[in-house]
Amino acid sequence: MLAKRIQPMVFQARRLYVELMFQVMGRALQAVSEVDEKVQNEARALPDGFLFEMMVMPDGSKLIVEHTGQGRFRYHGDKSPRPVDLSIQFKHIAHAFLVLSFQEKTSVAFANDRMLVDGDISYAVRMTRVLNRLESFILPKLIAERAVKEYPADLHLPEKLISAARIYLKVATNFVETVRA
Amino acid sequence: MTNKYYEFFCPVKVIAGKAALEHIPYELTGMAAKRPMIVTDKGVRAAGLLEPVIAACEESGLEITSIYDDVPPDSSTTVVRDIAGIYRQEKCDSIIAVGGGSAIDTGKAVNILVSEGGDDIAKYSGAGVLKHPLKPFFVVPTTAGTGSEVTSVAVITDEAKGVKLPFTSSFLLPNAAIIDPRMTLTLPPHITAATAMDAMTHATEAFTCMAKNPLSDAYATAAIKKISHSLLNVMDNPKDSDGRLELAQASTMAGIAFSNSMVGLVHALGHATGAICHLPHGLCMSLYLPYVLEYNLETIREPLGELLLYLEGPEVFAATPASRRAEASISAIRKLRDALYKRCQLPRTLKETGKVTEDQLDHIAEMALDDGSIMFNPKEVTLDDARAVLRRAWA
Repeated sequence: MLAKRIQPMVFQARRLYVELMFQVMGRALQAVSEVDEKVQNEARALPDGFLFEMMVMPDGSKLIVEHTGQGRFRYHGDKSPRPVDLSIQFKHIAHAFLVLSFQEKTSVAFANDRMLVDGDISYAVRMTRVLNRLESFILPKLIAERAVKEYPADLHLPEKLISAARIYLKVATNFVETVRA
Repeated sequence: MTNKYYEFFCPVKVIAGKAALEHIPYELTGMAAKRPMIVTDKGVRAAGLLEPVIAACEESGLEITSIYDDVPPDSSTTVVRDIAGIYRQEKCDSIIAVGGGSAIDTGKAVNILVSEGGDDIAKYSGAGVLKHPLKPFFVVPTTAGTGSEVTSVAVITDEAKGVKLPFTSSFLLPNAAIIDPRMTLTLPPHITAATAMDAMTHATEAFTCMAKNPLSDAYATAAIKKISHSLLNVMDNPKDSDGRLELAQASTMAGIAFSNSMVGLVHALGHATGAICHLPHGLCMSLYLPYVLEYNLETIREPLGELLLYLEGPEVFAATPASRRAEASISAIRKLRDALYKRCQLPRTLKETGKVTEDQLDHIAEMALDDGSIMFNPKEVTLDDARAVLRRAWA
């Protein structure tokens, strides 16, 4: 009985968590493309104006980023200025929650058919590498190891801490600017 | 409770064994199809492989309405549009693809156009675009390796844009795959070897990569056992129809396995090498398999060790300490490759192919890193890792 009453609140909390994580990840993608050379190199292979979307099917939370050139991303929130070029879609919010709460690695979610790719697969592979790099920076190593297939051996603590601080600062600034706007 | 989850899907009716071709008329009639079109290539026709298919149909009073026998090795959007035009003109109502990967992929793409309408196959490119079942579609494989008869994917080249268009939908799966040993009896030795090693790689990667699951495991191990038992016998006795059937079935089983659990780095490197150096797919698979298994070794030690049972049999498996079985499995695959090299000079290294230069390795590594298969490789692969595997595979 109690469980039945609590269930809608749990669903609501899960939806809000996924929405918040998309907002953080979108801003963090923009930030990491400004601070990390490896991410910039990965992103340079994408066409200028390339729009990437991550969303929950059928019409749930989403994040949209654009490659503006020179390996830089710009976060567009959940509104796309034109049809997206690549969409990674979670089949259900429960699957998005598993990945975004680091209970399931992104690569495992792909292997488990939790997500679909609509668009060029090679760009999806590239964006997955960017997401992995981002998670390795912004998450504590113990959690990052649950999120990525393999924690990068060449990512040492000083570089991680400095980059993470710069990314979080940019994310926070972006949040404040959005609220002010 | 673990997060373990998997999906498995294969609705293809497999019709396999002696006189399997003679079941085609009954199966077509069961789907109310009376005017089938055959899609094939010149090589299949020249090898006389169409005659038993046509005879089987005509003997049952079923006329083949049209035959298109000019499918190129890399099928294009133009070819697909032309075949769809003939299909409509001749008022056909079903498709029988007879051939290897290209003829089968072409048959799948033609089926999209004739079922959904239009002339532009490119607009159906991508995953999940198709929403309805297509026309009756049967596949008669003439090689034992690709497994295309049980996969829901087709790749067609868009010549104008110079890109390969992927099509993915469960509706692309044929209604039936007809596995008849007569269709592979005349395969030349080097193609028999390369295609069988393609199937071996499908099964091995299906069993060791990230999306492995209990059902695909069963198909993968059965396929490996059949290939290990039959391949060298067939190489020594090409007219051994029982052995040919074993290899053909193994190819289908490996196809079912990998289409439900995906493949990994061997395929990523193989696709890149095929695109850059124009080497046959099966050859690339045979070439890279042991080197990639060595690279992945510590992440796949347990499943790879299990494969020793199917590669070498129970005696060798029992006599090998558990801690050495994974290495023994790689040795078994190397031994098989050596035996094939002795019989038909199937290359074991990139240098032995004579078609790859050392300065192409970096380009291959870069392209492999963007291949979709790499997502399912159990171990993360960096550019340096891919280069290292290629250097080992060089000579």
